[in-house]
Amino acid sequence: MQQHTTITEARFVGNTDLRSTAKSGGRPIHRMLAAFSAAYFIGALVTDVVYWQTLNVLWERFSIWLITAGLILAGLAVVAYAIDLFAGRQIDRPAWPRAVGYALAILLSLINAFVHSRDAYTAVVPMGLMLSGLVTVVLLLTALIGTVLANRSRVGG
Amino acid sequence: MMRALNIAASAKLPRLAILLATVAGLGLAGCDDHAGDPKRQIGANPVLPEIQQYLMPPMRVAKVVGWGEDETPAAPQGLQVHALATGLEHPRSLYVLPNGDVLVVESNGPKAPVNRPKDIITGWVQSFAGAKAKDANRITLLRDNGDGSPKLRTVFLDHLNSPFGVALVGHDLYVANTDAIVRYPYEDGQTSIAAAGTKLTDLPGGPIDHHWTKALLASPDGSKLYVGVGSNSNITENGIGAEYERAAIWEVDRASGAHRIYASGIRNPTGLQWEPETGKLWAIANERDEIGPDLVPDYLTSVRDGGFYGWPYSYYGQHLDPRVEPQRPDLVATAIAPDYALSSHVAPLGVAMYTGTDLPANYRSGAFVAEHGSWNRTPLNGYKVVFVPFSGGQPSGPAQDVVTGFLDADNHARGRPVGLAVDRTGGLLIADDVGNTVWRVSSVRPGSVSSIR
Repeated sequence: MQQHTTITEARFVGNTDLRSTAKSGGRPIHRMLAAFSAAYFIGALVTDVVYWQTLNVLWERFSIWLITAGLILAGLAVVAYAIDLFAGRQIDRPAWPRAVGYALAILLSLINAFVHSRDAYTAVVPMGLMLSGLVTVVLLLTALIGTVLANRSRVGG
Repeated sequence: MMRALNIAASAKLPRLAILLATVAGLGLAGCDDHAGDPKRQIGANPVLPEIQQYLMPPMRVAKVVGWGEDETPAAPQGLQVHALATGLEHPRSLYVLPNGDVLVVESNGPKAPVNRPKDIITGWVQSFAGAKAKDANRITLLRDNGDGSPKLRTVFLDHLNSPFGVALVGHDLYVANTDAIVRYPYEDGQTSIAAAGTKLTDLPGGPIDHHWTKALLASPDGSKLYVGVGSNSNITENGIGAEYERAAIWEVDRASGAHRIYASGIRNPTGLQWEPETGKLWAIANERDEIGPDLVPDYLTSVRDGGFYGWPYSYYGQHLDPRVEPQRPDLVATAIAPDYALSSHVAPLGVAMYTGTDLPANYRSGAFVAEHGSWNRTPLNGYKVVFVPFSGGQPSGPAQDVVTGFLDADNHARGRPVGLAVDRTGGLLIADDVGNTVWRVSSVRPGSVSSIR
C-alpha cells in the first residue's frame, strides 16, 4: 500500500507470457490492485461516517458499492498474486506480513459487505461503521509494518 | 457473526483455509433459523419473538414446477376445484362484473432498479420463484355460461401499465395502473374496450416502485375510491422521502380526482373489502422482512379513518424497528395494532369477504385470504387460501386451510394464489400467477364441471 503506485505507472505489458502479464511498470500488478482496493475500503469508512451524521441513504449506497468494488479488486489482486507465486517469481520475505494483514482486511470487508446489505440504519450503525473502521486500522497497520520491515531488510540485508 | 470474527481473528491459518472456513461460517449463520409454529401467530395476539438481524438474510424460494395434466389444488370434502381458465400470463387479480363476466388482470411489476449490489442478488433469486414472469399488462374477460353453451375469452383491455385494482361504478370502469387511476366507459355485456381511458389521478409509481400493486375499491355510494398504495421499500432503505404518500390507503374523490390519506403506516395494503355486516373497510397487509422467520406477521385488519398502523417506525403497536432512523415517537404513540395476524411472511395478496350462498354454511360469514407464500422463511409458509371466520363484523376464530396443494411433496411450487373474487353464482375464484390459471372453487354437485381452455 505504501508503494506510491499511481495510474501513470500502470502500463499493461503485452500478453507474451504469464510473468509479464502479472507485472505492471516493473512492479507486481497485485500491489496496484491491492492499493486500489484498500483505497475503496477506506473510502467506505468516510461514506459510513457521512451517512451516520446525515442519515441520507445515498451515502450508505456509496459505502456498499465501495466495499463491493474493493472486494472485486481484492479478488483480482489475489489471482495476480497466485500467478506470481505459481510462476515462481521471488516473493521477498517482508511481503508476508503485508499479505496476512491484507487477507484479514479482505475477510473483514467480506463480513462488512453482508452487514452493509441490511436495510436502512442498521446496515451501517453500529456494526458496519465499526467494521469499516477496523478494516481501515488493519490496512494502515499493515502498511506501517510493511514499511518498517522493508526498510529493516534493506538496511540489515 | 461472532463465529466468523473468531475465525478471522486466528489469522495464523493459511489464507485459503480462513476464507473457506469463513464462507462456511457465514453460510451457517444464514441458515441459523428457528422458525416457530405459524399457528402461534394467527389471530388477535400473535407471539412476537425478539428481532434477529442477519449477516446473510435467509432466502428460500419454492422452485416452480407448474401444474401437471389434471392436477388441481386440493380442497376439503364438499368442495371441488376446477380450472376456469388456463394459459394466462401472470394473472394477478380478479374482478366480477354485474353480468357475471370475470375480469382477469394479467400483470407484473415494473423492472426494479439496481440501487445496491443486493438488488442484483435478490432479483436473481426471485427469478426462480417465477416473480419475473412475462408481463402481459392487460385484462382478459372470461364468460362462462355454465351450461355447456359457448364460452368466451377475450382481451378486454390492453396496453396497461402494471394494472392491479379494478372497480366499476355505474358505467365507469376504473383501472388502477401502478402510476394512475384510469377511467373507461363500460356498457353491460361489453367484451372489450377500445376507447381511450381518461386519467382520474396520478398514483405514486416509479422509478423505484418497490410495492407496485394498487388495490382499488369503490365506496358503496360510488362517490369515493379507496386505493392501497404500498411502501417504496422493505424498511425505508430508499430513504423516507421515497415514501411520500405511500404505505397508505388513499381516499380519492371520484368526481374531482382529489385525494386524501385515509389511513397510513400500512406497509403494503391490498385486498380492500367492505365487511358486509358493519360496512367497515378492511385490508390485508404484507409486513416487513429481514428481522427473523417469525417477524413480522402479515395481517388482516379493519382500517380506521385517520388511523396509523406503525410502518416504518413500529409494528403491532409500539414494537420499534431499530432499522428506522430518525424515529418518530409521536407517531409510534398513536400506532394501532392490527386486528388479526395471519403469521409471518405468508404474503396475503387477495381477500374475498364471502357473501355468496354456493359454498357450505361454514363459509358464509368470513373472509377468504390468498397467501402467495413466503420467499425468506424455512419452512415455507403460506402457499394456500385460508378462511377466517367472522362474527359480528370481527374475526371469530383461527384461520382454516381451504385451498391447498399449491406446493408439491418436495416443496416445489405448482402455483401461487394471488387475487380472489366471488363469482355471480357464489363460487370462489383464485388467480394463480405462477400456475397461470384461474381456479374456481364450488360446492360439489353432480355435473358442475366448468372450464375455458
